[in-house]
Amino acid sequence: MKKSFVVFWKRNLAFAKLAIVSNLEYRLNYFVDAVLQPTLTTGIEFLLWFAVFRGAQATEIAGFTREYYLSYALWAAFFARICTSWMYETRMIAEIDTGTINGLLTRPMSFYEYYFSQLMGYKFITTVVSITIPLMAIFLFKLPTKLERLPLAFALEFYYLILVHSISFIIASSAFYLNKVYSFTNAKNLVLWLLTGELLPLDLIPEPYRHIVISMPFSAGVFTPVGYLTGRLEITAIWESFISVTIGIVAVNCIGVLIWKQGLKAYAGTGA
Amino acid sequence: MSFVIETKDLTRVYQTYQKPEGILNSLKGFFHRKYNYKIALDKATLKIGSGQIIGLVGANGAGKTTLLKILSGLVTPSSGTASVLGFKPSERKNEFLRQISILLGQKNQLWWDISPMDSFALLARIYDLNPDAARKRVHDLAEMLKCSHVLQTQLRRLSLGERMKMEIIGALLHEPKILFLDEPTIGLDIVAQETIREFLAQYVKEKSPTIILTSHYMDDIAKLADTLLLISKGHIVYQGTLKEFVAKANTEMAENEEVNFEEVIRRFLETESRLC
Repeated sequence: MKKSFVVFWKRNLAFAKLAIVSNLEYRLNYFVDAVLQPTLTTGIEFLLWFAVFRGAQATEIAGFTREYYLSYALWAAFFARICTSWMYETRMIAEIDTGTINGLLTRPMSFYEYYFSQLMGYKFITTVVSITIPLMAIFLFKLPTKLERLPLAFALEFYYLILVHSISFIIASSAFYLNKVYSFTNAKNLVLWLLTGELLPLDLIPEPYRHIVISMPFSAGVFTPVGYLTGRLEITAIWESFISVTIGIVAVNCIGVLIWKQGLKAYAGTGA
Repeated sequence: MSFVIETKDLTRVYQTYQKPEGILNSLKGFFHRKYNYKIALDKATLKIGSGQIIGLVGANGAGKTTLLKILSGLVTPSSGTASVLGFKPSERKNEFLRQISILLGQKNQLWWDISPMDSFALLARIYDLNPDAARKRVHDLAEMLKCSHVLQTQLRRLSLGERMKMEIIGALLHEPKILFLDEPTIGLDIVAQETIREFLAQYVKEKSPTIILTSHYMDDIAKLADTLLLISKGHIVYQGTLKEFVAKANTEMAENEEVNFEEVIRRFLETESRLC
């Protein structure tokens, strides 16, 4: 039992390293991904909230100042990038669609763990660089952030990634039956754009939707960690998010396993 | 003789969508689809002993690759049973997967964006091999295949022949007991084909694995296989030694006519394609 856990751990560490090595092979792409893209997103979000406050000619919205919203926008853009998985999800779908999954199915490992560890490795190697952007911005613009809360916010975010990956697993597994399911990824990401709180702080949504949306596990992607980091939420919200994410992981994986098993039965080993 | 592979009435049926030509038919097909059912493998029953090298021969679409995919656990049979090393392949248990390897000549199984050496290090982790022993094995195999100079070049930069050699090293790294080779020399020049053939012959002598080999190059089969498995429209139509097969064919020939293995297979495949 102990040995098999060590083997599992070493294997998954190797998958995470694979993601790091592969991403660093293409330097310009890595720079755009880890630096330019988050800088652009931050700039756009900043402009949006500047425009909102100027247009409203108000110093506060829903009891919070402009600096507060700028801080939210800054961290929301950063956390949203971490909790979005379109790149690996697209690869997972392509593996099944094109039949390159054959090389994975005949090896002693699981498709789920292979991509999950790579996702973690990729998120790690991009996050360590892209975090410098919000950090520089909060010091430059003196924006409210409780940095001592960063570790717990990160813990929730990376825990939420399990749910994100499990949803990707369901979408990818449906490619066993439908082949081309790339549009599912786009549709899902649009829905999550709102439900995570990337588009706007979820407590601005009117009741009864507000309560429902915040109770869903997706709020753990952006709203809860960013709200906690910027002082909008307290630690109770973090614990509640951990619980809702756990429920989400269990429910989504039950469906995922079912679709995967049935999908394998239908799989024709595409090509060759 | 102990059997490492046994199948009984193994059948696989594929469902395929049929769409007549044109935009109008695409629109019709959007709402109502017609499906065909193709029997790729039809009640195939066979027994393969430990250490045998099987040449699996048949026309395109005869069911060779489907049989390999079922035996390696990639495809689930529609009916019938298969047992490989005592395991049910479709369950894809790790213990089973550690003892087999499948090489699909038309598909890359190593990682495109990294060097073969990085790929082999990753495979060593996946198969839980000692990293130093795995590294040594890679160098030994690369030397036998005369390709040590490309071990640290990104896979996508290699020629087809070099890539195939890397794929072979990757497939043999964990010393599988059963090896499924699906057209390992496809698209290669004569020299590369010869190198791979010689290498496999040497490997078989040293490690005695059980191999099922498919190839459209009859030289591969004639030089490597000791047993022939002939498949036609999903049916196994012959299982026996190559010698017996040629002798049997010659007895059926007209007097004064004698043919070799390649000629017998050519005639068989010609008959097959006429019947299609």
